[in-house]
Amino acid sequence: MLGGALKISKHKSLDSPGAKIATKDLKANFGKMQVLKGITLRFPENKVTAIMGPSGCGKTTLIRCLNRIHELTPNAKVEGEVLLDGVNIYSPQVDPVAIRRRIGMVFQKANPFPTMSIFDNAVAGLKLAGVRNSETLNSMAEKSLRMAFLWDEVKDDLKKSGTNLSGGQQQRLCIARALAVEPEVILMDEPCSALDPIATAKIEESIVALKKEFTIIIVTHNMQQAARVSDFTAFMYLGQLIEFDTTSEVFENPKSELTEKYITGKFG
Amino acid sequence: MTKANLPARISLWRKIVDKLMTILVLIAVVLAIVPLILILGDVFMKGAPALSIGFLTNVPTAQNISGGGIGPAIQGSFIMVGLGALISVPIGVGAGIFFSEWSTSKLSTISGFMNDVLTGFPTMVLGLFVFILIVLTTKEYSAFAGGVALSLIMTPIIARTTSESLKLVPTSLREASMALGIPRWKTVLRIVLSTGKNGLLTGVLLAVARAMGETAPLLFTAATSVIFAKSLFLPTASLTIYIYNYAISGAPSLVTQAWGAALLLILVLLALNLLVKLTIGRNSSKARMEM
Amino acid sequence: MQRLLDKGLEELTTMVYKMGKDAEKAVTISLRGFLEGKDTTNDVHELSEILVGTTADVEEKAFSLIAKYQPVASDLRIINSYIKVAYDFERYGRYAWDISFISTRFNAKSNCDKWIFEYINKMAEKTLKMVKISISSLKSLDAELVKKITKTEQGVDDMYHEFLGKLVKAVGVSNECTVSSTLVVRYLERIGDHATHIMEAVVYIATGEKVTLR
Repeated sequence: MLGGALKISKHKSLDSPGAKIATKDLKANFGKMQVLKGITLRFPENKVTAIMGPSGCGKTTLIRCLNRIHELTPNAKVEGEVLLDGVNIYSPQVDPVAIRRRIGMVFQKANPFPTMSIFDNAVAGLKLAGVRNSETLNSMAEKSLRMAFLWDEVKDDLKKSGTNLSGGQQQRLCIARALAVEPEVILMDEPCSALDPIATAKIEESIVALKKEFTIIIVTHNMQQAARVSDFTAFMYLGQLIEFDTTSEVFENPKSELTEKYITGKFG
Repeated sequence: MTKANLPARISLWRKIVDKLMTILVLIAVVLAIVPLILILGDVFMKGAPALSIGFLTNVPTAQNISGGGIGPAIQGSFIMVGLGALISVPIGVGAGIFFSEWSTSKLSTISGFMNDVLTGFPTMVLGLFVFILIVLTTKEYSAFAGGVALSLIMTPIIARTTSESLKLVPTSLREASMALGIPRWKTVLRIVLSTGKNGLLTGVLLAVARAMGETAPLLFTAATSVIFAKSLFLPTASLTIYIYNYAISGAPSLVTQAWGAALLLILVLLALNLLVKLTIGRNSSKARMEM
Repeated sequence: MQRLLDKGLEELTTMVYKMGKDAEKAVTISLRGFLEGKDTTNDVHELSEILVGTTADVEEKAFSLIAKYQPVASDLRIINSYIKVAYDFERYGRYAWDISFISTRFNAKSNCDKWIFEYINKMAEKTLKMVKISISSLKSLDAELVKKITKTEQGVDDMYHEFLGKLVKAVGVSNECTVSSTLVVRYLERIGDHATHIMEAVVYIATGEKVTLR
């Protein structure tokens, strides 16, 4: 039994109705194995929230439940609610495809579409949705590539294959691709874990710039990264939420001993 | 421990074993390739004399009259393989998509198994099946029946190769597409299929090459003919049946023509292979996939 | 399981504890010297110099740990606090030296009135006690104890102000005595202040709370 009650601090943002996306007693399973044991969490709007925890704590499953990708895995089940602007995205009237346009995702390993050029990759979400107007596509491509801090590096090579770029550039391309469909929330699953420090730094810069327009939720292993980019941090362990607070509090003075042990590297 | 310290005997022994293994492997390669080269050489030498424009475009003549050709057989083979492809490609690709994208369903496992059984099915039996189904009911041999028989051979091959190619497409690409709010059917058609298209093309080529070389299924479905086909619903000639008939005829001029037809068949298959390699090559330089 | 950081933290802690020991020694020797009229300048000066050197070492070690290991939470609080505490200990040594200087220069024992001497004696006792507590609480990291103690032991500040008030009104005090006693009580007050800093650091390390114990 996990010792210690849940330590959620009463930060002002958490009480306000301005949580862009929130979960209510969210549970998730893979067949018989319960990965999320009832998570209630509110993600403040236009802020970056980091989700941390040791491997297997359920953080990736959590964000995959936020954009209804979890249910695509065979044998996967979800219970509970996820509220986007107060509306439960799991209610039967809601179209999951439409939700995924409002909640975008960047994956751990960059996955640009290999048969498409950089340009096509950036606007893939629009093109595949039927947008044909080349002016729109051109301007969206530039806008999203600029927001991902990639435009200057690729603007003369837009027709080249997406897989010709370095790992860090590919990941920024994936960020641009997610941005081009103009979501409201962006989920990032350890976006920098496969990248070198310079590529990581570029992506962190873009995250900080992006939060002005988007609500960002980032899964990370790295407390220092969370400290650099996030405003709030949630710590999870074995499928439960252990602590949620402003990042500076968690960074300097975590309330739960489990959190402290994890972020100082005494386990994990 | 540097090389200088190793006893000279061990080092020499290792060199000998290395050389021996290399030689053995080379012998294996040679043994594998030599028959192919011998056959190709044989066919080329015996068949080349028969090749001429007339040979390719004329209708057959009696064995002692010169100027005969295999024109109808060439036309017939292409028509029936083409018909077979028309039927088998959509069905095979569709089945392949099902096997790959719905791989967890029980139906998929069962029908996948049945599909694999069909790929090795005796083609004579398939031909007889179409004979009973189409030839007996329509009361005539036809290119249509021949095409259908060939499609029964081609479809399982295309289904299996399609499904294997699509399974190689990383799940992360599907998820990336769905995460953009693209519905599943579009993801499969526009992303998965296009990423796996090289494998698909190769699979279709394999099926076509197989079909072009089949004789048994055409025996009771298309039979043969000595004139150019004017309708799909009449007996039709094919290269393989001509080769069979001419080869056992015993007449030297016909036997030469049989070699010529065989050479032609091989050249067509080589050309097909090259075509596909070129198309894949052009796609690959743009789409270097890391699998 | 020992982390790489733990070895560095141990070294840092050893340095800081030694500083505490040396600083306490310096203050004790110099106060005794003042009260007994002995010249302790050389001994105290030596200790003070060591403390100055060790402060620089502590800073360097702390920064290298921060740069290498990017510590967080309690690790970060300890390392940050040790930098400040090292400086407080260095100040102990410096003021101790200043006191030893005065006692030699002005020979307060022979020049001062009894009441002044007794007053300074009491103040010195209190200050020394605070110094001892600051060092022991740093070792125990007992925040609760610290909070209780400072409330009851906080007298050095008040005594300082009280003394000045009395001295200004007093008659017949020699110039040497005025100067030396004023300086000494001032140094004692400063030492007490730094002891309070250290105890506030103890609370911060233990609980993350930033308190003012003055």
